[in-house]
Amino acid sequence: MEGVGVQGYLAVGAVLFVCGVICMATKRNGIGVLMGVELVLNGANVNFVAFSKFGPLGLDGQIASLFVIVLAAAEAAVALAIALNFYNNHLTIDVDRANELQG
Amino acid sequence: MTPETYIQTGTTLKWLLGLAWLLPLVGFCIEIYGGHWGRRLDPASNGKKVKLAAYMAVFCIGTGFLLSLSAFVIWKGATDVQLVAAAHDAEHGDAHDSDHAGGHDDHEGHHADEGHDHEHAGGHDHDDADGHSHEGEARGQSPDESEHHEEHGNDPYAAAFSGTFYELAHFGKLRIAIDYYIDGLTLLMFCMVTLIATCIHVFAIGYMSDELTEDYEDHFVHLPGGKHFHRPGRFYRFFAFLSLFSFSMLGLVLAGNIFQVFVFWELVGVCSYLLIGFYVERHSASTAANKAFIMNRVGDFGFLIGLMILWTYFGTFQFANTDPASAGEVGLFQMVRDADGHLDVAETEEGSIVSLHGGEGRTIPYWLLIAAGIGIFGGCIGKSAQFPLQPWLPDAMEGPTPVSALVHSATMVAAGVYLTGRFYPMFTPEVLLTIAYIGCITLFIGATIAIVATDIKRVLAYSTISQLGYMMLALGVGGWVAGLYHLITHAFFKSLMFLCSGSVIHGCHHEQEMTKMGGLYKKMPITAIAMLIGVVAISGLAIPILNVGLSGFYSKDAIVASALAFMSGNRDTISFFAIPLFVMPLVTAGITAFYMFRLWFMTFAGPPKDHHVYDHAHESPSVMTLPLIVLSVFAIGCAWFGILENWILTAEPAHVAVGGTSAHHVALSMPSHHAIHGVHHTAGIAALFAAVVGAALSAVFYWKGLVDPNLVKRSFAGVHHFLVEKWQFDNLYDAMFVRPVHIVARWCTAFDKNVLDAFLHWLSRLTLATSSWDRKFDETFVDGLVNLVGSSTYKVGRSLQTVQTGSLRLYVMFIALGVMALFGLLFMFFPSA
Amino acid sequence: MEMFLFTVFAAAACGGAIAVVLSQNVVRMAFYLVISLGSTAGLFFMLSADFVGATQLLIYVGGTVVLLIFGVMLTASGPFLTIKSSPGSMVLAIAVGACFLMMVVGTVLQVDWDGNAARLEGQYGASSLDRPGYNQHGEGHTTRSIGTALLGARFDKDLGKNREQPSTGYLLPFEIVSVHLLVVLIGAAYLARAKRRVHVPSEF
Repeated sequence: MEGVGVQGYLAVGAVLFVCGVICMATKRNGIGVLMGVELVLNGANVNFVAFSKFGPLGLDGQIASLFVIVLAAAEAAVALAIALNFYNNHLTIDVDRANELQG
Repeated sequence: MTPETYIQTGTTLKWLLGLAWLLPLVGFCIEIYGGHWGRRLDPASNGKKVKLAAYMAVFCIGTGFLLSLSAFVIWKGATDVQLVAAAHDAEHGDAHDSDHAGGHDDHEGHHADEGHDHEHAGGHDHDDADGHSHEGEARGQSPDESEHHEEHGNDPYAAAFSGTFYELAHFGKLRIAIDYYIDGLTLLMFCMVTLIATCIHVFAIGYMSDELTEDYEDHFVHLPGGKHFHRPGRFYRFFAFLSLFSFSMLGLVLAGNIFQVFVFWELVGVCSYLLIGFYVERHSASTAANKAFIMNRVGDFGFLIGLMILWTYFGTFQFANTDPASAGEVGLFQMVRDADGHLDVAETEEGSIVSLHGGEGRTIPYWLLIAAGIGIFGGCIGKSAQFPLQPWLPDAMEGPTPVSALVHSATMVAAGVYLTGRFYPMFTPEVLLTIAYIGCITLFIGATIAIVATDIKRVLAYSTISQLGYMMLALGVGGWVAGLYHLITHAFFKSLMFLCSGSVIHGCHHEQEMTKMGGLYKKMPITAIAMLIGVVAISGLAIPILNVGLSGFYSKDAIVASALAFMSGNRDTISFFAIPLFVMPLVTAGITAFYMFRLWFMTFAGPPKDHHVYDHAHESPSVMTLPLIVLSVFAIGCAWFGILENWILTAEPAHVAVGGTSAHHVALSMPSHHAIHGVHHTAGIAALFAAVVGAALSAVFYWKGLVDPNLVKRSFAGVHHFLVEKWQFDNLYDAMFVRPVHIVARWCTAFDKNVLDAFLHWLSRLTLATSSWDRKFDETFVDGLVNLVGSSTYKVGRSLQTVQTGSLRLYVMFIALGVMALFGLLFMFFPSA
Repeated sequence: MEMFLFTVFAAAACGGAIAVVLSQNVVRMAFYLVISLGSTAGLFFMLSADFVGATQLLIYVGGTVVLLIFGVMLTASGPFLTIKSSPGSMVLAIAVGACFLMMVVGTVLQVDWDGNAARLEGQYGASSLDRPGYNQHGEGHTTRSIGTALLGARFDKDLGKNREQPSTGYLLPFEIVSVHLLVVLIGAAYLARAKRRVHVPSEF
């Protein structure tokens, strides 16, 4: 059967990843940055599952992606809490205003 | 004596004398600390506690005397020596010989082949002329001792005990130990030293009493501003030093090996140094102490050379081993001389060789034996102030008078004579001749200077030199007994006279010039009489017919007799040169009487010359006069009944009694007892005559004033000046040694300053320059490098700071770019993977 | 059919992601994100990872995105609803992203995937597709295997083979993750709680 090879899935993962990176690099909104992170993690997940099927990883790839999903959820919760805190302190969600660490 | 009794007696003697020897050391330790702390604890007592030091010292030395005396009694009981029965031997006048028939023939039988006594033949005749029949050898053995003598063979060490207190170390064959050697001479010295020291200690309690203060004013030290020097009194220190001295002197006498003698010899020297420099603030005292010490070192150098020779060739330092338990090991004396006291000399191609007894076949070249003897005698020259090392003794009078009495007249200076006597078996006739001439010169020099001296203590000091010369002369001419006899009697009357002079000085408030005294008899009669006894004793005056005199008479007669016998015995061989050996002591006997009576007349007789001194003079307290009385008794009677002489005789080396000849380098014949007895009468009369003449002259000059001494002085101005300048010895030594040393020292200083200092300065400048270069290098390169690292790190940090924008989005961009760069690198370097 | 489904899901996922990037309104971004994540779940189902796909839908689409939307609602009131990025940075980011994408895609295309698969077959004996346990071809019953694997037993690897050393499961990571989640729960609640002033009584 002529099916979709591993290349296609990898290409989709790459696009998701790059979109996430661009999203992180351009969005000034803190929530937008978070969304970029989710995209990056998703791209990685696509790769894991694709190799789980086409490569020797087997079930391990899927389990890894499960962990990633769980951690992403946790991260999202904490990051949202931080964002809320930031908003309470600065009355804005613009990450460019968070430059206290500038040397 | 069986070995058991030997060991028993030896052990008893050892502990008795050892205790007597060590007690003063204990006393010294207690006194030097206790006196110090006692004063510190209670300054208000003003010396009462400090006086404990004096009582301590007296107790120690007095107990020592009692122990010595009991040791003597035990020794006498154990060895059967008869002191009184044989006394007739020593009686003067008609009863002065013994029947040597048995013993003498015995000797002849032994040594006829050596042809040593044509001298003896004369003596023999004399024997026959005398109708007396006495048992006993000249060595003082009892009648039944003659059998004893036979059965023992010729044991020359029958009355001697030797052994070891404590062995310090054992280096191969070199054995260093604290030995003892006890014979009649040791015991005699012990009794004499402890007795005189006890008297002087007691005397010193009175004499040094003005030191019993916290604020002693020394009138002889002038500080700038016309003031005198003030210091705390040193009463306890004085007695501590006296105790230390007693310890050293007794150790010297008790010593059983020559090395130990050397150790105590030096200890005695140190004590002498400390006591001469007792008034250390006085320049004259410190100089005199240095002088005494340095001059003694000159002599000790010879001593050391002698020790080296002895060790090299003999391998032992012990005098003699008389212990029957270890009969195989022999001492020095037993190695050099056989039981009869003869040297075993063989002529070889390399010269004369002396074979040593003792089994190992050791030999020593004859000339080295001479060298060793002269070396050891060199030490004695220094210690006993013999020519040419005599100038230190008069200067030593800077010490307190009890010190002069104890150290510089009676005991320490006698140590040289004692050692010469003790070491007698080691001396070859050549050495003895040297000793005789040295003594001869010394006695004359000392006596002549004493004529013109005006300081009361210096007169006595020169007289001491002269008398020591007598002793040396006696030993040198073969009069072994005579020399040591005089040592003992001299110790008594010289210490007596010194104490008298101390009493005078004390009574006249430290005035020592005789020219300011006079007529003191009325003021201090006890002192005057005691002094007169001493003067008569040293002059050797006696009642001519009865031949009864004070102690000095007997001993000096013995010396003169020995000298006469020696001269007549060697008239053929060294002819002309032997004459002074008799004439000098004879003349000097007269001179001695002259200056001693001069001293007495100037001090005690005639009108007072300085009324200030006279008015303040007073008799000394009884603590000072009592010792004078005790010593007077001994100065009068210690030589009576011949006890003393016979006591000394028990220790006489075997070869002395028979005399003998030697023909190795100088043909000499030593006078035997016979020969000496033969001329005793003649010599005694001559010496007495000389003494009477001297005393009479003195009375003419200084008592009756019939001739004004100043007139004589003026007419012999040159001679007088020469004598006042002490034969120019000090000037000569100054020119010969002191000034060259100063010149050399100046050279050395110049060398130091110009060469060594310059070199050192150059070195320091070089170091400075090097260090400044180093500093520049440090500052430029090392510091520069460190600063460069620091500043560049700082700059890099500064420049990196701009990267830290704090912008989240920029960081994400950096991450992306970084990943891309990593991939790019990966593709570049691993394209095929 | 498979090709068609893949094309649809892939296009939706990629398009959603690009739309997220390009959109300036945060609420729309959230919506596009839901599309992208949902399509990804579809891709997971196509890869016969049914449990992972379901989890993706449940947690991401049902949980995380809802959380994000809550965040948007709490913060993005009025003027902050759209915060425009500067065009310069947008262009720069897109340029860098394009380079990155080209690099990754180029890398993927360079690899000889068929040869690689053949090599893997040679190494593991049979085709990976024939391995027992989870991978009945065309079916996706992986739930039980994953459950046991998380509890420490690997039926997919250990059954039917006499292994001396059994494969390890994921019990420990599972526990760690659970504790982690607990910590995150508490931490997030603490961080996000409303600050209350303590009022000092004024009558004193």
